[in-house]
Amino acid sequence: MAERNAPGELRVRIGGEAGFGIKAAGQTLARVFASTGLWTFDLTEYPSLIRGGHNNYLLRVGPERLYSHAEGVDVLVALNRETVDLHLDELVDGAAVIFDPDETSTDGWLPSNRIRPVPVPLTKYAREAGGKIMRNTVALGAVLALVHFPLEPLIESLRRQFAHKSPEVAEQNAAAATVGYQYVARMAPDFFLTIEPVEDAAPRVLVDGNEAVALGAAAAGIGFYAAYPMTPATSILHFMAGHGRDMGIVVKHTEDELAAINMVCGAAFTGARAMCATSGGGFALMNEGFGQAGVSESAIVVNVATRPGPATGMPTWTEQSDLLHVIHAAQGEFPRVVLAPGDRTQAFELAWQAFNLADRLQTPVVILTDSYLAENRAAVPPFDLDAVTIDRGKLVAEGDIADHADALHEDGRYLRYRVTDDGVSIRALPGVTGAQQVVNSYEHDEYGYGQRGEIAAERVAQNEKRMRKLDLARTLVPGPVRFGAEPAEADVAVLCWGSTVGPLREAVAQLAEEGVGVAAMQVVTVWPFPAEEVCGFMGAASRTMVVEGNLTGQLERLIREHCLRAPDRSLHRYDGRPFSPERIVAGIKEVL
Amino acid sequence: MPTVNDFEKALTPTWCPGCGNFGMWRALKEALEELGWAYEDFAVVWGIGCHGNGADFLNCQGFHTLHGRALPVATGIALSNPDLHVIVEMGDGDGYGIGGNHFIHSCRRNVRMTAIAHNNQIYGLTTGQASPTSDQFMKTPSTPGGVVEEPVNPVGVAVAQGATFVARGFAGDIPHLKELYKEAVAHDGFALVDVFQPCVTWNKVNTFSWFRDRVYKLEETEGYDPTDRTMAFEQSMKTFHELTCAPDECRVPIGVFYREEGSFTYQDGLPQLDRPAFKRAYEPRDVSEAMERFG
Repeated sequence: MAERNAPGELRVRIGGEAGFGIKAAGQTLARVFASTGLWTFDLTEYPSLIRGGHNNYLLRVGPERLYSHAEGVDVLVALNRETVDLHLDELVDGAAVIFDPDETSTDGWLPSNRIRPVPVPLTKYAREAGGKIMRNTVALGAVLALVHFPLEPLIESLRRQFAHKSPEVAEQNAAAATVGYQYVARMAPDFFLTIEPVEDAAPRVLVDGNEAVALGAAAAGIGFYAAYPMTPATSILHFMAGHGRDMGIVVKHTEDELAAINMVCGAAFTGARAMCATSGGGFALMNEGFGQAGVSESAIVVNVATRPGPATGMPTWTEQSDLLHVIHAAQGEFPRVVLAPGDRTQAFELAWQAFNLADRLQTPVVILTDSYLAENRAAVPPFDLDAVTIDRGKLVAEGDIADHADALHEDGRYLRYRVTDDGVSIRALPGVTGAQQVVNSYEHDEYGYGQRGEIAAERVAQNEKRMRKLDLARTLVPGPVRFGAEPAEADVAVLCWGSTVGPLREAVAQLAEEGVGVAAMQVVTVWPFPAEEVCGFMGAASRTMVVEGNLTGQLERLIREHCLRAPDRSLHRYDGRPFSPERIVAGIKEVL
Repeated sequence: MPTVNDFEKALTPTWCPGCGNFGMWRALKEALEELGWAYEDFAVVWGIGCHGNGADFLNCQGFHTLHGRALPVATGIALSNPDLHVIVEMGDGDGYGIGGNHFIHSCRRNVRMTAIAHNNQIYGLTTGQASPTSDQFMKTPSTPGGVVEEPVNPVGVAVAQGATFVARGFAGDIPHLKELYKEAVAHDGFALVDVFQPCVTWNKVNTFSWFRDRVYKLEETEGYDPTDRTMAFEQSMKTFHELTCAPDECRVPIGVFYREEGSFTYQDGLPQLDRPAFKRAYEPRDVSEAMERFG
């Protein structure tokens, strides 16, 4: 039995077979709450298939900002019996189970002295409203009635949602929601939870990490996007394709990931801001192209949204197991930047900043996310669009290269790979007069000639020039994010990266209430590794711990390498599920 | 506008004396001079192989990419800057082997660009192994008992897969090849020019004299209609099976196999290509409307 949640919070799980519209229904509910001033965080779990199998959607709602999902369920909407069997243990004392008595047998779980059964003839009411498919909608009405929330926001949301289909469908859904609401309002008026709309709340947006990355890339002026569909990165392709014409983005669904990253390199050559997104398996296929971007000094952005590997792995689940893959991807040595946003706001900001970094450094930049962040929506404050800037670095996009003496050899010819102090050369686009060049995947000389790259001195000069860009990168990239207690005063200092920062943030707050001081650090730029900040944080603390969603401790290995010391303890999760705050709280308490 | 001499203001070629790449290099420079393009009007993309070393020998604005990836890089260029003509130089192992998937999809994609294949039916740069277009039963260091597989039929694949301009040239006939290049770059859609380019070092079967004894021109062939796709496919099949035969038993056609005018190009479906994509990144894009949809 799970603990009851914080006051004013609600956790609803909707479960059923794939194809039942579980996620769509859940997101409708999230929109209703978010549009009435509440904060939401959702977590979708689904198998890698289109029909059948168990899908479920967990929605957490609360009056304070939410940074993660949480364990425990107050209201379970069971669209089939399997949902009851799988999630019974998660229910808090007195939790309600909304189910259709005509479809879900009560054998073996009712009667129960700790469960509040709420039988609703979902299918019957849905059919009466216009079709069985709307039983989700009946259930949504039922959920709102149960928690004493007004019906009107749901009706408005459904009307908006179905407006593009037909007014008839919108009205049918409104009727379905209403009948579910009225039925439960009469039948179960005394449920222990009451959720209230917040008056005059600031506006917020309901986005997942993919949507945030896509919006950030769009704001940064992306002109070319290529991808091969791969969970959990696929929805970025849908966003880009959906906005291709209105935003002026060329979007290509390619024959494979090799094509995607190579098209991106070609587009970057013309000066387009260009990106591809994939998961670890697709990035494995992209590795050679990624190295090509490094040696050819192509300004590209790659979003890697991790799922559990290796190989096909667990396509629809989450893990943080690609950190070392991404940092080491491709043969040879070249500079790269790897940014690991932990939440949707960071995903937006790091996405647009990634393009500036790629242009400033003329080298590939990775945005490393995972399924937990990429595919789950949370209500967040609207992104700060006014903060977006464009910095294209040493770029000559038009005109005559003769006007840029710094880019020329004494003989007057353009040097694409001129050796400079900061490692960055003036990049002239094809189309610029006089800018004949060979952008090259071979090692090369300052003109770009591959044959002359084999000369030892040229190789050394170009290799060192490229790697100097990493020093420049250190001055440009965002540093780690600190929260919680000061490390010197804390009971424990905890490090994390990526999406684990959400549940860690919640855990730190909970522990603070219990009098446990936790100093926390999220490593945001994971490459170049922020050794100074991380090692300093480690050194100031009496007890250290790393929390990350993998088996072998990948951030931990970086810490060992760069700080020459190990954390005292580590907490791992690698079953395809994200950390919950509860799990981190328990893990930290074990250390103390 | 740059002349043949201007295009040579790069490194001196290192190809083997007598290499078929010299003829292709010459034909391309002459075609470019006659087209009257400025350097900034076009970009050239190379794959990896002996042909790819040519990136050092042509003074132009180019990208020497990975083995097998010239076509997607070129596609990225063509789909992000409509002001550039794009020419791809690829090899037979490069374009039809390791890059074969891109070749198939480039044909059906019909992106406005020109692909020139240096087809010497052998791996030259890696010292003489069988290539996807090596004759069946050819003995090489990687196939000491002879090649088992049927060779790839690039012309047939291109025609079958929807390429809208498919031609074959011979590096030993530079004036003819130059004209094929000019036709190909003038074509509104994806153009393939597969060029027999004898490797004088590693391929002792398909030599210059072997081809000279056999080639004939399709445009001089009575009754050949390059707008007839079925005829083009049949022609490609015949050629494909006759490569190992004696000169009097078979002939090797060169010229335009297939040409389809007025086809819908990939760029035709992209109104957002009304300007080079780099011009969309002068200022941050206003995404407030897109963000509001998540409100």
